[in-house]
Amino acid sequence: MKQQSSLLFALLSLLLALLLAAPLYSSTRNEEASEAMVRKIARDLRCAVCQNQSVYESNSDLAKDMLQIIRDKVQAGEAEHAIRDYFFQRYGDYIYLEPTTEGKNKILWWAPFVGLLLGAIALWRAILRWRTPQKESSLGNPSLLTPEMQQRINQDLDRTQL
Amino acid sequence: MKPIWQSILLLSVLAILALFALGLHNDPREIPSPLVNRPAPDFATKALDGQPIRLSDHRGKWVLVNFWGSWCVSCVAEHPYLMELARSTRARSDFLIIGVDFKDTEQGAAHFLARHGNPGYRHAFDPNQKIAIDWGVYGAPESYLVDPNGVIRLKHTGPLYPGWFEKMALPLLQSTPSAQKEATP
Repeated sequence: MKQQSSLLFALLSLLLALLLAAPLYSSTRNEEASEAMVRKIARDLRCAVCQNQSVYESNSDLAKDMLQIIRDKVQAGEAEHAIRDYFFQRYGDYIYLEPTTEGKNKILWWAPFVGLLLGAIALWRAILRWRTPQKESSLGNPSLLTPEMQQRINQDLDRTQL
Repeated sequence: MKPIWQSILLLSVLAILALFALGLHNDPREIPSPLVNRPAPDFATKALDGQPIRLSDHRGKWVLVNFWGSWCVSCVAEHPYLMELARSTRARSDFLIIGVDFKDTEQGAAHFLARHGNPGYRHAFDPNQKIAIDWGVYGAPESYLVDPNGVIRLKHTGPLYPGWFEKMALPLLQSTPSAQKEATP
């Protein structure tokens, strides 16, 4: 009898514990997923008053309210790109911590490579010029010397004792 | 051959220096608003006077939307001009001012208006700055000039200064016809 009641008690308390834990578990699962989404969006958005912190990291009032707006929108089922776009429409390029590669930003992304290429071409041409013997110069080409010059050089060469 | 290259190099260095010089005058804290020349986000909420207020009820008029809060120090500096502007434009049928008191408490706002004077126009109450974020506000005060078709035509970050209306707003107010074709729903 005593054994039976203690078994019943154990079963009941187990059931109670499971009942209490179940809603907690299911809701955290759901919340975790949407919070992960909120975090993902907020980490990419720049807090408008603190220059170089994300909305997620910042403690400013504006960032907290922005975070709340993101949370509301995620819970309302809005897509990630729609939420990003909402802030972009209002704060412009500035709002993205990582600059986009769209539009005129493309210039910023590609200009260094174009510059590098132009520099390489210029360097290549310069190297080619250094390597080829300079035939045009008056010193290298005896035919450009005047007869008097040639005569003087010959005289000087004769005078030198090698 | 060589002088061309040299002048190209010189010109590009000068161009870069000129860009840097221009950049020095930029305020890194100022974020250019993409909302200028776009339809103003509408708001319908409770005003500080307890009655509902809706921006789109004022289509057909130029509306100066001024974002402020009792916690904002620059708003105190700006306030005398807003008082003056409200007084001098009260007779105009084509212009009105609406304040948006954001991130504030009703008591705080009432205290501010009692202390620094009540300019007489209405204020939307925006305690969790939903309207402010919807308008791309990141500081206070910020002011937007909305044309009769509900399009934002001008944004001013920081306190409005004496003479602002005549210098910045009046030329736009006098060119209403051009606003007609720019307005897109």
